Amino acid sequence: MASGNAMFARILWRSLTVRAGRVGVALAALAVGAAVVSALLSLYLDIKVKMGEELRAYGANFVVSPADPGARGIAVDTLSRAVAAVPGGKLVGASPALYGVVRLDQGNAVLAGVDFPGLRKVSPYWQVEGAWVGVAFDDRNAMVGRKLAEAMDIRLGDALDVLGESEKARVTVKGIVESGDAEDEQLFVSLPLAQRLLNLPGRADFALLSVAVEGGEADALAAAIDAAAPGVSAKPLRRISESDGVILDKIDGLMAVVAAFILVMTTLCVNATLTAMVAERAPEIGLAKALGADHRAIVAQFLGETALISVAGTLLGLLLGFGLAQVLGQAVFGAWVGFRALVVPVTLIAAMATALAAAIVPVRRAVRIAPARVLRGE
Amino acid sequence: MTAAVSYAEPLTAPAHPVIALRGLGRRFGAVEALADVSFSIRAGEFVAIMGPSGSGKTTLLNILSCLDRPTDGEYLLDGIATANMDEAEQARIRREKIGLVFQQFHLIPYLTALENLMLAQHYHSVADAAAARAALERVGLGHRAGHRPSQLSGGEQQRVCIARALINEPALILADEPTGNLDEANERTIMDLFRELHREGRTIVLVTHNPAFGEVAERTIRLAHGRLEAER
Repeated sequence: MASGNAMFARILWRSLTVRAGRVGVALAALAVGAAVVSALLSLYLDIKVKMGEELRAYGANFVVSPADPGARGIAVDTLSRAVAAVPGGKLVGASPALYGVVRLDQGNAVLAGVDFPGLRKVSPYWQVEGAWVGVAFDDRNAMVGRKLAEAMDIRLGDALDVLGESEKARVTVKGIVESGDAEDEQLFVSLPLAQRLLNLPGRADFALLSVAVEGGEADALAAAIDAAAPGVSAKPLRRISESDGVILDKIDGLMAVVAAFILVMTTLCVNATLTAMVAERAPEIGLAKALGADHRAIVAQFLGETALISVAGTLLGLLLGFGLAQVLGQAVFGAWVGFRALVVPVTLIAAMATALAAAIVPVRRAVRIAPARVLRGE
Repeated sequence: MTAAVSYAEPLTAPAHPVIALRGLGRRFGAVEALADVSFSIRAGEFVAIMGPSGSGKTTLLNILSCLDRPTDGEYLLDGIATANMDEAEQARIRREKIGLVFQQFHLIPYLTALENLMLAQHYHSVADAAAARAALERVGLGHRAGHRPSQLSGGEQQRVCIARALINEPALILADEPTGNLDEANERTIMDLFRELHREGRTIVLVTHNPAFGEVAERTIRLAHGRLEAER
């Protein structure tokens, strides 16, 4: 004796395989819908991280300076405490900066004392000819802004004599920097050397930070830094912090619109296919009703078929979507998009909801078929 | 019209007629397809309903098979009043009381002969391959169980259709022009099959143009212009 479920499964399978063409169209529509939704969802889940990284590539997004605007610099130890107040995972990089004017053989120049490894993380977009100075305490190498190098005919490897307020030093040009901003006219040396040349031991003017925060978190973090290091004032650089949030919101909204549009198109396509299938199967439905099938049996048959098509379409769509996410991730962010388990249930639910919405009208039509008429070929 | 009759408790004792029509009528707008039709059919009778095109045979068959409802009068099937049943109740009475035989056979093309019978079992209760195979053997098609309708002749398809009508042991077999699409040889086979079913004590009502069935059936009901014209 075959169980009711076995016979039901047999009818479902036969009725789907005998209409491979139409079922294929519905399955393809659902696969495309599921692929787009899962790809956009994968990107959405990764985009905050990826976009944050992209935007931070445009430079520091926090500046920590003396709370008293009239003060000349601030103790580096205080700045270190301020930087330490940033939660570990959020800090991308930080560098103190001490500015002053020094004399070179060819004329005066603005000197910037920095922490080279920190500055490199804060300013990943700098174009450097030669190489970055690798360590923070290197007082024999320097980097020179492109415009300053051109004005004073400074080349890579040249030795520069730098005369400060109370001390003289000789440094070798290890890199020529191009940022498109004021840095192009500055001479960069390590902070300890700048402090000696400018006679400001243990001091810096401010610190630049690159922190992985979204718009809303920035103010809270600034307050936390202020509290952790009295005497400093931490400020988010609004231009980047806010644009970060605005761009993310716009991209989220755009993805939601695209996903909704695709799901509506999928619904229409599946609806048209199911409607055609119901029309084609009117005699079969009429026969089922004549044999005593009630509305529940007819609905179960069609929803069962729709659910099977949806699951198959979703599985195919998830595979395609993961590939599509990689293509988009490479094209937009130059990075691979990771697999996230959440994408599977969300895509399945979206595809099932789409298919069920598409099935409502065809199933109602199926239920309303009058067996006496269709069995006589009317 | 009688008071509502409980589905679970038939009106009368087992000796009640399988079909009882009293003043049955069916109107489609202004058109009166059936009017004042009254007759009874006892269990085990073989009745042919005959008449020219437009006489109301199909309308009557649709009502008898609970695919339509009368607009006047009453129809008791196996003692159960059916005139005011909703669609769910009609579906239930069709699967439990009636076996239908169609002129066009109406077999599902992508299911085998055996599966077509099991489908009717599935809608009735539970599919049972052994019982379905026995029903096919009963109509002489045990060896064709695994064939699809397209692999069967017209006569064989009609025998599968008859086996499907028998599979759930209905109180009534209703047949609509069962030989209308068959050649002479197959017609004889089907008529012989109906004779055998009658001898087994089954209640058979068939609508036909075929005068030969008038000879085979023990009773003939003639319709003309939607009214009962004659009974033999």
